[in-house]
Amino acid sequence: MNSKGATVKRGILSILATVSAITLITACSSGGGSTPVAAGKVTLEFSQWWEPELPAGALRSVMDDFQAANPNITVKLLSAPYASTKDQTIAAAASGTMSDVVGLDGAWVSDFAKQGSVADLSKLMKSAKYDESQLASQIKVGGSTYMIPVVNFVYPMFTNDDLLAKAGISQAPTTRTEFTAAAEALSKLGGNTKGWVLPLSLQAPNGIQNDVMSWAWASGGSMLKGGKPDLTNSAVTSATKYVKELWDKGVVSPGALTMTEQDKVEEFTNGRVGMMIDSLSHITTIREKNPNLKFSISAIPATDGFAGKRGIPYASWGIGISDNSKHKAEAWKLVQYLMSQKVNSKLSTLAHAFPGNTKSEPDFTGTDPLFKTAFDIYKSGAPVNEFTGLPVADQLMRDFDEQFQGVLTGTQSVNDALKKAQAAWKTQF
Amino acid sequence: MATKRRGHLLKKTGLLVALSAGAIFAGFPVLWMASSSFKSNTEIFAYPPKLITEHFSFDAYIAILTDPTKVRFFINSYVVAICVTLLTLLVALLAAYAFSRFEFRFKKPLSMLIVSVQAVPPITLLIPFFGLMVVLGLYNTYLGLILTYMVFTLPYAIIMMTGYFNTLPKELDEAARVDGASSMGALWRILVPISVPGIVSVGIYTFMISWNEFLFALTLTRTPDMRTVPIGIQLLMGQNSYEWNQMMAMSILGCIPVLVLFLFFQRFFIGGMTAGAVKN
Amino acid sequence: MSIKIINADVSRGASTKSLGRRLAPYGFISPTAALLFVLMFIPIAMVVGYSVMDNVIVNKHPQFIGFDSYIKVLTNSVLPTAVMNTAVFTVVSVIAHLVLGLLFAMMLNTKLLSNVTTGLFRVIYILPWLFTVAIIAILWKLLLNPNGVINYALISLGLTDKGIEWLSSPATALIAVTFINIWAGYPFYMVSLLAGLQGIPKDLYEAAKVDGASGFQQFWSITLPQLKPIIISMSMLDVIWTSQQFALIWMTTGGGPINVTEMLSTFTYKLAFSNYQFSQASASAVMILVLSTILAFFYARYQKARD
Repeated sequence: MNSKGATVKRGILSILATVSAITLITACSSGGGSTPVAAGKVTLEFSQWWEPELPAGALRSVMDDFQAANPNITVKLLSAPYASTKDQTIAAAASGTMSDVVGLDGAWVSDFAKQGSVADLSKLMKSAKYDESQLASQIKVGGSTYMIPVVNFVYPMFTNDDLLAKAGISQAPTTRTEFTAAAEALSKLGGNTKGWVLPLSLQAPNGIQNDVMSWAWASGGSMLKGGKPDLTNSAVTSATKYVKELWDKGVVSPGALTMTEQDKVEEFTNGRVGMMIDSLSHITTIREKNPNLKFSISAIPATDGFAGKRGIPYASWGIGISDNSKHKAEAWKLVQYLMSQKVNSKLSTLAHAFPGNTKSEPDFTGTDPLFKTAFDIYKSGAPVNEFTGLPVADQLMRDFDEQFQGVLTGTQSVNDALKKAQAAWKTQF
Repeated sequence: MATKRRGHLLKKTGLLVALSAGAIFAGFPVLWMASSSFKSNTEIFAYPPKLITEHFSFDAYIAILTDPTKVRFFINSYVVAICVTLLTLLVALLAAYAFSRFEFRFKKPLSMLIVSVQAVPPITLLIPFFGLMVVLGLYNTYLGLILTYMVFTLPYAIIMMTGYFNTLPKELDEAARVDGASSMGALWRILVPISVPGIVSVGIYTFMISWNEFLFALTLTRTPDMRTVPIGIQLLMGQNSYEWNQMMAMSILGCIPVLVLFLFFQRFFIGGMTAGAVKN
Repeated sequence: MSIKIINADVSRGASTKSLGRRLAPYGFISPTAALLFVLMFIPIAMVVGYSVMDNVIVNKHPQFIGFDSYIKVLTNSVLPTAVMNTAVFTVVSVIAHLVLGLLFAMMLNTKLLSNVTTGLFRVIYILPWLFTVAIIAILWKLLLNPNGVINYALISLGLTDKGIEWLSSPATALIAVTFINIWAGYPFYMVSLLAGLQGIPKDLYEAAKVDGASGFQQFWSITLPQLKPIIISMSMLDVIWTSQQFALIWMTTGGGPINVTEMLSTFTYKLAFSNYQFSQASASAVMILVLSTILAFFYARYQKARD
C-alpha cells in the first residue's frame, strides 16, 4: 500500500518541521549575548546585587561617569537577586562565564579564591602601581588580596524610643545586665511586644554572625585563635549562654528559628520588638515603611564593666575581578575608580554605608542624623567580622546555627553545642 | 416527586457547602496575596492583620507597569512559555503516538528512561547544564530556555498523552489507515481532534511549568532583557528588605494570563466532546 | 477494559509490517530522543563523572578517586534524617494531593449546579497552581507568621491563646511545609482527573444505574478503574517531583529548625553550594537517579502487566 511510503515521508517531514521551527526561534532569539565591539573598545560586565539596593539609576549614573572618563570602556551592569548571587557566581565560574568585575561578600571570598575564579588583586595593584594605603581594608587569602570592600555596613543596636519610654527605660542599655532588664520590661508591655529579635534561619544563617557572635565581639571576644576556630573559649561561651538566657526569659520574638534578616527588620519597623542588632543600611527602609517610628542607635552592649574597644560587626559590598577576564587591566581601572576618594564618598552616601577608602567621607548633609551618630560609633569602635575570608564561611555559620538551635530547643547544653560546633568547624579549616 | 426534588435540593446545598469550604482553602491565601498587593509595605505586617486596607493603592501595580525592564520580564515569559507549550505538544504528540500505537525496539527502555530522567535533582544538573549551554552558544537566549524547559515538560507530556491515546479505541485510527490515510494522517485527523481535553490539560501544565520556572531561568540568563517574571519577583527581594506589595502585585499580574488561558480552554474540559467519539 | 484486549488483537493482526510501518515510530520518536540525549543524558553523564572525581569545580585538575564520595555521603550522619523526612513529606503530600484532587475534580464534575457556578469554582480551585514557588513560600511565611493572619484567626476564635510558630517550632515545621506543598500541588491532579472524568463513557454509569448500583458503588467500580491509568502515572510522577522539592523548603525553613525539615534535596544543595563538595552532591544525585530508575522499572513492569 502506498500509505507506508507516505508514513516515512511524513515522519521525516515532521522532523523537518520541528527543526525549522527551532531554527526560526533561534533566529529571533539572537538578541542576547555579547555584541561585537569595535577595535580598541572594551565592554566590561559588572555583575552585582547592588543596583536594586541603590536608588533607581544611581549605579548606572556612576558607570556613565566612569565611561565618560574612559571613553574606550563600556560597562554593562548585570544585577542578580542577592539570595542567589553566590550560587550563580559559582556556576558561572565553573563554566567560565563569570563577569569581568563581580560584587562579592566577605563570606565567599576564600572559596572563590580557592576555586581560582577570582583574580589575585595584589598583582594587579602592583602592575598598576596603585597606592594601597588608601584602602581601609583588603580581604586576603594566602597572603594575596582577592576582595576589596567598597562600602561597609555596620551593625549597631537599634532601639525603639517610644517602646523603651513606655517600659520606663530612659536610656539605651550599654551592658548585658541593662539589656536583659530592658528586654524583660519591654516584653511585659503586653500585646505582641517583645524585647529583642533574633533571626536564626538556616537558609541564610548570617544571624549567627550579626546577632549572636556580635555579643562576643562587642565585649572584645574572638571566635578564632591564630586563625583557627576557638569556639569553646570563655568569650564565645559567655555570649552564647547570654543569648540562651534571654531566650529562656521569653524576651525573644517568636518565629526566631526560621526568621531571616528581612523578617527581623519588619518586626522592628512594625513596633513589635524594642531592640535589634541591625545593619545601618536599614535606616532608610525603616523610615520609608514607618515614618512615625522613633528610634535611636547605639553600640552593642558589652559585658558589665568592660572598658576596652567594642567590636562592632560589619558587612561589606566587596569587589573582585574574574580570573577569566580578558580585560583585567580595564577591570582594575573600574575597581580603582570605585575606590577613588570622590566616587567612594558618593557611593557610600548613596548606600548609607561607610567608605572603603580611608580618605573618603560620606556626605551627611540632608541625610538622617542617625548616620552621623553611627559614623561616630563606627569610628570609636573596632569594626570586626571574623567570618570574612574564612573557608566555607556560610557553612560555618550554618553548623553553629544548627547546634545553637539545639540549645534553644533544649536538646543540648551550651557547652556540648559549642564542642560539637568546634569539631564541625575544625574539619573545614 | 416532591421528596425527590427535596433530596435533589439537599444534595445541591450540601455540594455547594462543600465546594465553598474547599474554595476557602484554595482561595484564601490568594485573596490575601491580592489584598496585600494593594497595601503599603508596613500594613502588610500590621497586627491585627486587615484584609481590606484603609490606604488602598495601585502604587505597586503602577510601579511595575511603568517600568520597561519589568514589562520586559512579562514579554520574555510569554515568548518562552508559548514556544515551549507549542513545541512540547508537537513533539510529545508524535512520541505518544509511537508509544501508544506502534511496537518497536527499545520501546520499553526508552519509556523507562523518560520516566526516570526526571528524578535527577535539577540543582545538581545546574552546573553541567550551564556549561553545556555555554558550549552550544545557547546561554542567555530564548532558545536555550525553551529547549531546557522542553526537557522537563516533555516526559510528563509524553506519559500523559500516551495514557490518553491508550484510552482511545485503536479501531479509530486503524480504520482510517485501512481507508488509505497515512499514520501521520491518522494521528492529526483522527486522534488529535478527539484528544483535545487531554491536549489542553497537558498544554496548560506545560505553560505553567515554563511560566513559573525559577532556577534555570536564573542560571541560563544574565542580562535584564532576558529575565523572566519569577526572576523579576526575586529581584524585589533585596539584601535588606522586600518590596512586599510589588512582589505580590507582580505575581498577581503574572497569574492573569494563565487564568485567562484556563478560562478560555475550560469548555474543553466540559462534557460532550469526547463522549460521542469514544462511544462510536 | 474488555475493549482494550480486543484492540490489542486487532493491532497485532494488522501488523503485517512493511519497512515503512517499522520505521515510522522511530521517526515519531526522534525529536524527543535527540532533545533528551543532548540536554539530559550528557549532563547526567557529566554528573556521574563528577561523582567519581575528587572535588570537582573547586579543584581545577580533579583526580579520579572512585567511590569515596559515595561512601562519604552514605556515612553522613544527617542522611538518615533527610531520607526519613523526604519519605514522610513525599508520602503524605502525594496521598493528600490525590485525595484532594480526586475529591475536588468529582465535585466540579457535577451536573447539579449551573455551568457558571462550577466554572467559577473551577477557577478558584486552580488558583494555588498559578504561582511560582518563590512567591508561594513567601506568601505562606506571611500567613503562618506568629503574628500573621492564620494565628490571628485562631486566637480570635479562642483556639489558641498565643501565636503558634508553625514553621519555626520543631514540632510543627514538617507538618507546615507538607501542608504548603499539598496546597500548592493538588490542582495539578485535579485538572488531569477532571479531563479524565470527562473521558469516561456516560453509558457505563447508565448501565450501572439500571443495575441499581449506589453512588459509592459506581465510584468504586466505574470511576476509579477508569481513572486508574491517570492516577498511577500521576502518582508516579508526583512521587518523583515531590521527593526533589527544593525551593519551597529552602525558602520557608531552610531545612530547619535544627534539621526537622531537612530533605534529600536540601541536603544535596548544602553539599554543593554551602560546602562546595560537588563530588558528594553529584554522588548523592546519582544515587537518587538509581533509586528512581528502579521505581520506573516497576512502573514499566506494571504497564506491561496491564497491557
